[in-house]
Amino acid sequence: MSLFKARDWWSAVLGEKEEFDQGCLCVADVDNSGSGQDKVIVGSYMGYLRIFNPHPVKPGDEVQPEDLLLEVQLREPILQVEVGKFVSGTEGLHLAVLHCRKLCVYAVAGTQGNVEHGNQYQIKLMYEHNLQRTACNMTYGPFGGVKGRDLICIQSMDGMLMLFEQESYAFGRFLPGFLLPGPLAYSSRTDSFITVSSCQQVESYKYQVLAFATDADERQDTEQQKLSSGKRLVVDWVLNIGEQALDICVVSFNQGVSSVFVLGERNFFCLKDNGQIRFMKKLDYSPSCFIPYCSVQEGTTNTLIANHNKMLNVYQDVTLKWATQLPHIPVSVKVANFQDLKGVIVTLSDDGHLQCSYLGTDPSLFQAPKVDSREINYEEMNAEMKELQKIIREATKTQVIVTVTVTVTAEVSPDLDEESQATDSEVKAGAVPSVTVKVTIQSRVAAQKPSLAVCVQAPLAVTCDQFVFDDLEPDSSESVVLSVFLKENCSPSELEGTCMVSYNIPTELNPEGIPRVAQCNFSLPLKLVCFPAQASKAANHKLTIDTNKPPISFVTIFPDFIDPSEGDQTNALGFQFLTGSKTTLLASKTSQRYRIQSDQLEDLWLVTKELIHRLEVHFKKQNCKDFACTFSGSIPLQEYFELIDRHFELRVNAEKLQELLSERAVQFRAIERRLLTRFKDKTPAPLQHLDTLLEGTFREVIALADAAEENQANMFQAFTKLKSATHLVIVLISLWQKLSPDQVAILEATFLPLAEDTQELGWEETVDAAVSYLLRTCLSKSSKEQALTLSSQLCMPKDTSRLKKNITVFCDRLAKGGRLSLSTDSATQQAAVIPSGCATIPESDLEERTVIPGSTAMFSSNGQITKQKSKP
Amino acid sequence: PAGEMGLEPLFQAWSYFRRRKFRECADVCSQLLERPPSEQELDSEYTVFQAAWNLKTRALTEMVYVDEIDMDQEGIAEMILDENAIAQVARPGTSLKLPGTSQGGGPSPAVRPVTQSGRPITGFVRPSTQSGRPSTMEQAIRTPRTALTARPITSASGGNVRLGTASMLTNPDGPFINLSRLNLTKYAQKPKLAKALFEYIFHHENDVKNALDLAALATENAQFKDWWWKVQIGKCYYRLGLYREAEKQFKSALKQQDMVDTILYLAKVYLRLDQPVTALNLFKQGLDRFPGEVTLICGIARIYEEMNNINSAAEFYKDVLKQDNTHVEAIACIGSNHFYSDQPEIALRFYRRLLQMGVYNCQLFNNLGLCCFYAQQYDMTLSSFERALFLAENEEETADVWYNLGHVAVGIGDLNLAYQCFKLALVNNNDYAEAYNNLAVLEMRKGHTEQARALLQTASSLAPHMYEPHFNVAILSEKVGDLQRSYTAAQKSEEAFPGHVDTQQLLKQLKEHFAML
Repeated sequence: MSLFKARDWWSAVLGEKEEFDQGCLCVADVDNSGSGQDKVIVGSYMGYLRIFNPHPVKPGDEVQPEDLLLEVQLREPILQVEVGKFVSGTEGLHLAVLHCRKLCVYAVAGTQGNVEHGNQYQIKLMYEHNLQRTACNMTYGPFGGVKGRDLICIQSMDGMLMLFEQESYAFGRFLPGFLLPGPLAYSSRTDSFITVSSCQQVESYKYQVLAFATDADERQDTEQQKLSSGKRLVVDWVLNIGEQALDICVVSFNQGVSSVFVLGERNFFCLKDNGQIRFMKKLDYSPSCFIPYCSVQEGTTNTLIANHNKMLNVYQDVTLKWATQLPHIPVSVKVANFQDLKGVIVTLSDDGHLQCSYLGTDPSLFQAPKVDSREINYEEMNAEMKELQKIIREATKTQVIVTVTVTVTAEVSPDLDEESQATDSEVKAGAVPSVTVKVTIQSRVAAQKPSLAVCVQAPLAVTCDQFVFDDLEPDSSESVVLSVFLKENCSPSELEGTCMVSYNIPTELNPEGIPRVAQCNFSLPLKLVCFPAQASKAANHKLTIDTNKPPISFVTIFPDFIDPSEGDQTNALGFQFLTGSKTTLLASKTSQRYRIQSDQLEDLWLVTKELIHRLEVHFKKQNCKDFACTFSGSIPLQEYFELIDRHFELRVNAEKLQELLSERAVQFRAIERRLLTRFKDKTPAPLQHLDTLLEGTFREVIALADAAEENQANMFQAFTKLKSATHLVIVLISLWQKLSPDQVAILEATFLPLAEDTQELGWEETVDAAVSYLLRTCLSKSSKEQALTLSSQLCMPKDTSRLKKNITVFCDRLAKGGRLSLSTDSATQQAAVIPSGCATIPESDLEERTVIPGSTAMFSSNGQITKQKSKP
Repeated sequence: PAGEMGLEPLFQAWSYFRRRKFRECADVCSQLLERPPSEQELDSEYTVFQAAWNLKTRALTEMVYVDEIDMDQEGIAEMILDENAIAQVARPGTSLKLPGTSQGGGPSPAVRPVTQSGRPITGFVRPSTQSGRPSTMEQAIRTPRTALTARPITSASGGNVRLGTASMLTNPDGPFINLSRLNLTKYAQKPKLAKALFEYIFHHENDVKNALDLAALATENAQFKDWWWKVQIGKCYYRLGLYREAEKQFKSALKQQDMVDTILYLAKVYLRLDQPVTALNLFKQGLDRFPGEVTLICGIARIYEEMNNINSAAEFYKDVLKQDNTHVEAIACIGSNHFYSDQPEIALRFYRRLLQMGVYNCQLFNNLGLCCFYAQQYDMTLSSFERALFLAENEEETADVWYNLGHVAVGIGDLNLAYQCFKLALVNNNDYAEAYNNLAVLEMRKGHTEQARALLQTASSLAPHMYEPHFNVAILSEKVGDLQRSYTAAQKSEEAFPGHVDTQQLLKQLKEHFAML
C-alpha cells in the first residue's frame, strides 16, 4: 500500500512465454566502453541472452530497436549471468554464463558504425567448462585475495562447490549436511563463502579451509572423510536464523565495516562479519528479492526490498523510507547507472517484464470506480419520494387488505380410520384410533414455493406436519391426506388443529414474490380420545347444566356413542378416555338438566364442551332460536386451585432442579480444572481420589438431568390438565353470568395467554398480571384501586396465594355485576404525554473500524466457519 | 516449457518455490517422487528423492502458512478452564480483565462507544479486539450472539480446522505424508529434514501433538542448543494451553538467540496469562535490542489500547508511523482517536490517506462520511455514505451505514429521514441495539411512550453494556411520573457508566423526591 508508484523510465517485454529467475539479470558495463554506462544483461531459461542499453528520448518511451544491443539464443537454459574479470591476462570485464552443465565465458565487443543504429555487437567465447554435476548458482570474487582477477565458484544441485581459477578447474568440495541449495555469496573481507543451508542456518566457509580440505570429487569420499584423519571441511561460523533464505548480499559501503545481508522468507537480517546479528526486521509481506545499494547516512545501509504484493520498499536499516508500487512482481532487482541518469532501479519479473524506473512523487492515486449514479432530476426524485412516503404511511396506518388468492380447507373424515395410523404412541390403552384429515389448497393465481404446515396441540400428533409443493399454477389445487392421533399419555385440552400455507406471489417489482399466508382451523371428533363405556353413578366432581328446553335423548345427540339397539330411553352415558379416566353424562328425566360427573375435574371439560356444542347444533337444526344453557351452581374454584397448586409445585421443582444442576456443573468444572492442573504438573502427584469425585459428580449431573426431564414431562401433563380445567372454568363462568361472545374472548385472553409455559414466563404470573389488570380497570370498585402500578417485569411468584385471591375476587366481582370490557381502558389510564425534547440521542457511532484486506480477511472467514459449526 | 530445454526437474521445482509458485513446485516434486529411487540412492546420505520430498513438504506448508503470531483465538473452554488465574481482583492497570481500570484517562463512553467487554472501540479490527472474558460459563453462554459478537467461539480450533480441511481438498489421493506411519525418532535425527517436516505437521496438518513429539525428540537430538526447536515447542505448548511451559521454552530460546518472533510469542503468552505489564516490559526490552522494530512498537500500542490508556497507545502508534508510514493499522487507530477527541478534520486526513493508499471498502467510506459530517463538509457526507452502501459486503455493514445515515439525519433535523434510516438499519440487522435506542428517542419525541419503552427494553437486553437505553428509560419514566422505575433504570445506567453526570443528577433529583415523600 503506497501513495506512489515507480515512474517508468524505460521498459521492455522480453520474448514470449519465457521464464526468468533471480540469476537472470545482471547490470554492468559489459562491453568495457569505459563510459561508466551500465548495460542490462538478461538471460532466460529458454536460452536467450539479451543485452540492452536503455536510452529513452523521454521517460516512459517504448523500447527502441537500437536499445537492444545483442540477442542470441544459446542452446541451453541460462541459469545465471555475471560480469567480472574472468579472463586471465586482462582486467577487462567479461560475461560468464551458467548453463545446467556448462560454464561459458564470453567477451562482448561492439563495432562502432557510422550512425547509431549501425553499431554492431558480438560475443566471442573465451573458454568454457563442462560440468560433471548439474549447476545451480554461482558467485565470483578475488578468492584467496588475488589481485585484479575474479575466480568463479559454482554450487551444484547436490551440494558441491566447484571452484574455477579462470581457464582451469581448481577443486570441488561437498558441503556437509547438504540437502537443497541455498543462496551463495562471497565475502572478500573474510575470504569466505556464505550460504544458508537446509538446516536454516547461515554458514560461512573460509576459502582456505575449503582449499585444504581433503579432495572430494565423489560423494563416497565425504563419508570417508569422517573416518579418515584428513582435514575435514570445518565451518567458520554458523548462525541459526530459523528460516530459509532467498538471497544473500555482502557489501561494505563504509570503510572497515562490511555487512552480510540475508533476505529470509519472513525476516530481513543484517549480520556482522563474525556472524552476529547487527539488526533484523520482521517483514509483514512475502519478499521476492532485494539489493543493498548504498549508504546515504554514515553507519546505515539503504536496501531495496521487493515483495509479492508488487511493492518496492526502500529501507534505511530498518526504517521504511519510501514505498512505491511496481507494475509486476520482480524476481530480481538491480541498481544501474546510465549515461544521463544515476541510480536507476532495474527490475525483472519472471515472465519477462524488464523495467528501468526511478522513484518519484508521481502519486498513484487510487481511482475509486464510479458508483452507478444517475442524473439527478430533483422533481422526479421528489415525486418518487412522496410516492414512497405515501406508501409507507399507508402501510403503517391501516391494515393491508389482501385479496384472498389462495385458500386452504381441511376436511375431517366423520369416521375413525379403519386401520389406525398411530405410530409411537405412548398411550397405554391397547388400540389408539386415528382420524384422517384431508387438506386442500386452492389457488386462483400463480403461487410460488407453497408449503403447508399442519399443527395440533400436543398430546395430539399428526403423521406428517410439513408439506412442500411445487409452484402452483393459476386455478389449480393440491391436496394431502394425513392422520391425527393421541400421542402422549394424557387427554388433550383442545380437539382442534390448524393448517397454515405460506407462499409467495410474484409481482412486477418483486419477481421473488411477496410472502403471504393462508390458514384454516379444523376440529377433531371426540371419539379420537375416548370410547363409550358403562356409566358409573358415583364420582367426585359433578356439574349440572340447566337448559330452557326439555331434555333430548342421548340417542339423538350422541348417535356415535350409543348403540341404537339399546333402546332410546337411555339417560346415562359413559365415556372412557384412552388415558384411563372415566366421565359420565346423565340427563334428568324430569327437569331440563344435564349432569356431568367424573373423578377428575379436568376430564369434565371435553364432555361438557361436546354436550353444549351438540345441544346447540341440535336446536339450531330445529330452528329453535332461544335455546340457552345456564349454570347456577358455584364455580368449582377449590378444585381448580388444587390443579394450579399442582402445576406450580412442579414449576418450583423444576427451578430447584435447575439450580442443583448448575451447582453440580460448577462443581464438575472445578474438579475438571483441578485434575487438569494435576495432569499438567511435571512431577506426577497422586490424584487424591479426584477421579472418583469426578465420576461421582458426573453421575449426579446425569441423574439430576434425568430428574429434570421427568419433571418437565410431568409439568407438561399438569399444564394440559390445567388448561382443560381453565377451559371448563371459562365456560362455566360464561354460562353462569351469561356473558356475550366479546366478554368470553376477554376471559379467554385473560386465562389462556400461553400455548406453552416455560420456566422464564409461566402461566401463573401471566394470568395473575392479566386478572389484576382487569380488577384494576373494568372491575375496579373505586378510583383508588386504579392508581396501583403494575410491577414492570413478570417473574415467578413465591406462591400462588395472591393469584388464588385475585381469581376469587374476580369471580366475586363478576357475580356482583361487573362487566368485562376493554373500552373503558383509555379513560382510566393515566394520560401519558411527554414534553418534547426530553431525551438525548447518544453518539453511538459503532462503525469506526477499518479492516485491511490482507491480514484480517482470514479471521473473518474463521468467524463464518465457527458460526456454521455452532448451529445445531 | 523451459523443461524442454533441458532444465533439471529439481532445479525447476527449486526455482518455482523461490518464486512462490507452490502448486507448480509441488507438482514437479510429485513427479520426481513417483520415480522409484535406485538402490544406490537409498544408501547414500543425500538423494534427489529426499531433496524433492523436502521441497514438496515446504511448498505444501507455504500454501497454507499463516503467521502463528497473528493466530489468536480463545475458545470457551480455554477461558473457563483457565487455571492460570492468579488474582481475582487485580490491581488497577495490571490486568486486561478489568477494562474500567484505566490510568491514562481513557475516553468516556459518552464520547467514544465501548464494546461489549467494556473497551473503547478501536480503529482496527483484530482478532483479540473482539473477544471478551466472561467470568462464568453461564455468562459466557448467555452473552447475546450477534454478528459482531463478544461471545467467545465455541471451538478453540475453528480456524485451524479450516486450514486442515482446505489442504485435504487439494490432495484427493489422501495426505502427502501419513503421520501415523511416520517414525518420528528417525526424522528427529536428521535436522535438515526435521524442520521442514515439523512445519508441515504444525501448519499443514495442524496435528499439534505429533508436532510436539517431533520437536521434543529433535531438541534432545540437538542437545538443547537449537533455539528454533525451543520456539517450536513453545508454540505447541501455547496451542495446547500450557502457557507456563511455553513461557519457559521461549525464555530459554531468547537466552540463546535474540529474535523478534520469539519476543512476540513470549508477549503473547503473557497476554494470555493476563500480565500486560510484563508483556510491555518485554516489548520495551526487545526494542532495546531491535530498535525501531515495528511489530514490537505496535504490540505496545495494542496493549495500551486494550488497557484503556488511549493517549499512550496513540503515542506508540505515532512511533510506528515514524518507522513505517504505510502502516494501515496505525493510521486507522490514530484516525479514530482523533475522531473521538473532537478533531474530525484531522481524522479525515488520516482516512483520506488510507483511501489514497488503496484501502477501498465500506468501513473506510463510512468513516469518511462521518468525519465529513462532523467537519461540516456536508457535500461529501452523502456521497461517501452512498459509496459505503455500494461497497457493503454483508447486511451488517449495510446496517452500520444506515445507522450512521440516520445519525446524520438527526443532526440535520430531518427526523422523518432519521426514522426511516434507523428502520432500515434494523431491517438489515435486527440486533442493532443502538438503532433501537435512537428509534426509541424518536418515538419519544412523537409521544409514543409505550413504543419507546418497548424499543428501549429491546436495546438494553441486546446490549447490556450500553448506558444510553437505561438512561433513556429513566428519563422517560421520570417524565411519566413513574419514579420507582426511573430510579432502578438510572441505577443500571450508572452501573454501565459510573461517570455519567446526567445520570447522577437524575439520581440525586429522584432521591430528593423520595426524601420528600
